[in-house]
Amino acid sequence: MTATTITPAHKIVRHDPWYVRVPLIAFAVLFLGIMVIGPLVNVFTQGFALGVGVVASAMQHPDAVHALKLTLIASVCAVVGNLTFGLAAAWSIARFRFPGKVVLNSLIDLPFSVSPVIAGLIFVLIFGAYGFVGPLVFGETRIDIIFALPGIMLATTFVTVPFIARELIPVMEALGPEEEEAARTLGASAWQMFWRVTLPNIKWGLLYGVLLCNARAIGEFGAVSVVSGKLAGRTDTLPIHIEKLYQGFGAVQTASAFAIAALLCGLALLTLLIKTFLEWKSKQQLCEVAKTEMPMAA
Amino acid sequence: MSILVRNVTKRFNNHLALDRVSLDVPSGLLVALLGPSGCGKTTLLRIIAGLESADEGTVLLHDEDADKLNVRDRNIGFVFQHYALFRHMTVHDNIGFSLKVRGRPRKEIDERVRELLRLIQLEDMAKRYPAQLSGGQRQRVAMARALAARPRVLLLDEPFGALDAKIRKELRDWLRRLHEEIHVTSVFVTHDQEEALELADRIVVMNEGRIEQVGTPEEVYHHPANPFVMKFLGQVNLFHGRMEDGEIVLGPSSPSAQFAATGGGGTGEAAAKQSSVVGYVRPHQLDIARYQNGSPSWPARVARINAAGQQVRIEAVLLGENRPVEVLMSQERYNELALKAGEEVFVKAKEVKIFEAAPLDYTI
Repeated sequence: MTATTITPAHKIVRHDPWYVRVPLIAFAVLFLGIMVIGPLVNVFTQGFALGVGVVASAMQHPDAVHALKLTLIASVCAVVGNLTFGLAAAWSIARFRFPGKVVLNSLIDLPFSVSPVIAGLIFVLIFGAYGFVGPLVFGETRIDIIFALPGIMLATTFVTVPFIARELIPVMEALGPEEEEAARTLGASAWQMFWRVTLPNIKWGLLYGVLLCNARAIGEFGAVSVVSGKLAGRTDTLPIHIEKLYQGFGAVQTASAFAIAALLCGLALLTLLIKTFLEWKSKQQLCEVAKTEMPMAA
Repeated sequence: MSILVRNVTKRFNNHLALDRVSLDVPSGLLVALLGPSGCGKTTLLRIIAGLESADEGTVLLHDEDADKLNVRDRNIGFVFQHYALFRHMTVHDNIGFSLKVRGRPRKEIDERVRELLRLIQLEDMAKRYPAQLSGGQRQRVAMARALAARPRVLLLDEPFGALDAKIRKELRDWLRRLHEEIHVTSVFVTHDQEEALELADRIVVMNEGRIEQVGTPEEVYHHPANPFVMKFLGQVNLFHGRMEDGEIVLGPSSPSAQFAATGGGGTGEAAAKQSSVVGYVRPHQLDIARYQNGSPSWPARVARINAAGQQVRIEAVLLGENRPVEVLMSQERYNELALKAGEEVFVKAKEVKIFEAAPLDYTI
């Protein structure tokens, strides 16, 4: 009995020659080292240069503490606001057909393309003493927006608008509406559907977006500078406080600046770690999605 | 529960998906919406479910205007083509979902889920996740999930479309048996005419947003209302010809291909005029013979013989028109004839359907 055997073609492995791989990898590592890792290490080195005592007193200084508080309040506000907006926008864009959808989608990216200083200026022009509605708002409520906490919250929220929405939209588009439709046909109310079906499916993308939003909010400098007026102990956020320390004279001031900066860097590194983990989890989940769409034999 | 669709129209942007569609689905029947892609069958199903709303017209579920009811209040079960199982829930939680959202007690849910798992024969899979199941298993879970809250209508959107042929056949049989056991009014969408013919009590043939014909499988197969239905429900051979004074000549003009038109319910005027006609013949209504023997036939040459399968498929090229026709015959007949490729034979027709403006059925 003759049978023609078909041999499987040997596995194709992308193997560029060493003189391509080595320079490319070397360049990437060098670039990263010089532009990113070096400076970061330097922050920690300079921060601890004068000893832990200086670091401790820098962190316990009332201005620093107040700045930290302000930063955290602004960042919580940004996260909560953009979480609500991000969910609403992602849902609308991924699930509905409506005129102007493309416009909305593009507008979400606007805060990315606008310089942070301009972002701050926008609010000054609207809510400032000589702005469009500033005097009106002050007249009615006696609340200061510019050069006060509300302004900082607004500016921080503005610059972090895209983060959560941008994470959620592709995730929701990839997931598709079927599970939610199924939930509805099975008798779930809108809230039950959202809570039991949508949320568990988007949770990794959501957390990732929240983390990015938070990271950016904590570190925002340009927009908040313009809007806050940089009043020490009153409207300084952590990044502004660091700048002031650095502008000051003396080794202690400098070391303190780096110490607080090291705090921020520490937060950033923590964010990076969590982000990497969530990214990995999210990719895993999207692989599951791809698997479930494939027809299989019983 | 019966379903009444009255003059439903639906537009997507400028595309007319459904054009004044009306349909009656009596309680307890298994009905197929059959048609090519884009004919509107899925849109109609979704409108019945409440997942889409009609631009015009109404849907009555058990004589109640369904417009007032939104999806969750219609008490329907929907099975999606790609299962739409909740990926982060176990099989048990998936099936029990409709009862959970209705606030049923845990014991009741567990019992109902156990009952359904037995029905779909997946008792050991309760703790598994959808990603750990095969396609056929997932679809069975999807059906169990849809049936959990005892819906009065079961709607299925190409339920076996994503599965391979063998599993499709198994699940088809399984669905038929299930329907016989449970008797819930069911409507399923398919583009597979074999599936519709095998499963359904009634078939609704649709095309371009309109219903072409509604009938039992026998009715739509043997008495199609128009060429579209006939062509969609199986293979057809076409013969162009002319009708003059009640006599029809089909195919390459040869005196031997003259048919006397008998039967039909047309008016005298239509039958008497000269007109060009198209005759439709199913492959199994054609036969092959070596001699003309008086009955109408066409000379042809055997081009291809496919004897693998239940019946033998022969491709014969009509001489004079140089056009192939497909003939289906039993293995016995084939052995009787001992045909070989390249032979010159005669193709005979046992029954030809001709459609005109007023559908007339001519039997030769």
